[in-house]
Amino acid sequence: MDSHDFHKLLLSRGTFFCYSGLLSEEVLSAISGIVREQVSDIDHDIDLTTRVFGIFIEQAQNIIRYSEERLAEGGIGTVAIGHSKEGFVVEAINPMNADKMLSLKGNLEELQKMESKELRKAYKQRLREGPPEGSKGAGLGFIEIARKSSKFEFDFVESPELLFVLKAWIVP
Amino acid sequence: MHLEATNRTPEVLISDSVLEMKGECYPEDITAFAEPILELLAEKLAACDSFSVSLELRYFNSSSAKFFFDFFEVLEETAAKGKSISIQWRYRSSDNSMKEAGEDFEEDMEVADYQLVEI
Repeated sequence: MDSHDFHKLLLSRGTFFCYSGLLSEEVLSAISGIVREQVSDIDHDIDLTTRVFGIFIEQAQNIIRYSEERLAEGGIGTVAIGHSKEGFVVEAINPMNADKMLSLKGNLEELQKMESKELRKAYKQRLREGPPEGSKGAGLGFIEIARKSSKFEFDFVESPELLFVLKAWIVP
Repeated sequence: MHLEATNRTPEVLISDSVLEMKGECYPEDITAFAEPILELLAEKLAACDSFSVSLELRYFNSSSAKFFFDFFEVLEETAAKGKSISIQWRYRSSDNSMKEAGEDFEEDMEVADYQLVEI
């Protein structure tokens, strides 16, 4: 793909922010302020923009903590935010370990079925019980994404390494 | 203790009978941020008769939620021992996320005086 095609592709998708490569907490510190400003410039609704920003942070920290392709500082992946007249979309793509696919798929399918009351209950229960085995945070990230998004979809793509794709929509 | 706000951490002020926190909370290292605060809070709570807390957050991430859960648990336990604990969760009127978060924490506060304050 030519550079100008890449440029046009991002514009046609409404992608106004895209980072691809090594994501570390240090990189996130460097970009998070400007992402927050960009999102707030596009829409002035505090509630909507806080949800978009929150989902962006959870997606970025998922890549930092769980991407299968890693350096000492963090993980390799792509995180992008787009906007159209329907609302915002936050996307994340990172290599993952195939052994973890089934349990992740099960977790996410369960979250997709839950209504907001159930998600709230699951969130509080997880807080009380503490993080599950293998979690590097509070174990709340996906529940938070499910709670704050209008809907989310995920996919596992072999290309040829296994990629985990998570896409969350945030609409007014 | 007085910590200036950064783009990832709130301003924090702790004196003998007051704790105030204001800003964004998604630290690079939640443990490094939370531990000194929880330690000092425990010290101040042990020494005081009454303690008031004011939180005004714009955003916190899911890793920080665990910190706030522990934070409120310490306050509720202290109130249950008979000390007077008052908490204000301040949120901007249009900020539904922070209002809901305040309501989530409110559910676990039975003895401590907990108020949601729209600003």
